[in-house]
Amino acid sequence: MADDTLNPVIHVPTRLKIVATLAALPDGDALSFTRLQDMIGLTPGNLIIHLRRLEEAGYISSEKTKNGTTPKTTVALTKSGREALDAYTQALRDLLGGL
Amino acid sequence: MNHTPDPTTAGNGGYFDPREAAALLDQTTQQARRQLQPSPPWLLVIRAVMVLAACGGIWLSVRGQHPYRGPTTADIPILVAFIVINFAATVAVRKRATAGVLGRSQLRPAEIAVAALAWVAAAVLLAALAASGVSYGHYATTVLIIPGLAWAAITAARAWWRSCAVGLAVAIVGVVGLFAGPAGSWAVAGIGLCLVLLGYAAAVTRQQRA
Repeated sequence: MADDTLNPVIHVPTRLKIVATLAALPDGDALSFTRLQDMIGLTPGNLIIHLRRLEEAGYISSEKTKNGTTPKTTVALTKSGREALDAYTQALRDLLGGL
Repeated sequence: MNHTPDPTTAGNGGYFDPREAAALLDQTTQQARRQLQPSPPWLLVIRAVMVLAACGGIWLSVRGQHPYRGPTTADIPILVAFIVINFAATVAVRKRATAGVLGRSQLRPAEIAVAALAWVAAAVLLAALAASGVSYGHYATTVLIIPGLAWAAITAARAWWRSCAVGLAVAIVGVVGLFAGPAGSWAVAGIGLCLVLLGYAAAVTRQQRA
């Protein structure tokens, strides 16, 4: 099928939502895990699974900081992640334009 | 080569219709931009209407004063209420939008301090001018010049050009008001700031739809 040209890492509903949400941030900004979870509407466990997959692909970076005694995880889209999303969006347009 | 299925694609048998993907991408992008926007268009439009009403109302009450005495005791609570509500709403919406966001788009403490000090400096200058009998000390728009220029400088240093344009526009409103007389400066403030806010709302809307 033609839609196997779509990036299989991004072409999953949850991961597409994660990447699209992080892409809405300005360059150089990161989003806390809690805020991302709130915006996507996932359980923490489910979100972690998908974030790991995206991180393995090099599309996001995560950082753990300590805010006083509370550890805080922030997530950001990498340059590679933005490029992958742009390529995915273009592939989607090409595919749907051809349908 | 063994293909190990990605367990994270489980759900509807692993197939994700491209048309659904396009719709989800579009919807998620629009939603995220709205939720992360610290100055949403709807708030900017409300502020524009409020500033026009507040300053316009004061202009209507002072335009017949000869000599000019300034806002009446009935006007001052309205002006104060407008300033407080405007500030509180802006801060609350910004705080909610930027919750959990870290990085370059956040103002540094020093930048916030400079912006706040600019308002203090403007108020001090206004008081000094009024005390020395300089008429510009009584103009509503004089107070906009220093904070407008300060904001333009802060945002120019960050290459935030849209915000820089807003700062410059506010300073220009301040300068234009110097030519309108003390009563007329209220009308200039109301119309000028209303137009600046509406222009900013239009720019944010265009960016969100891009």
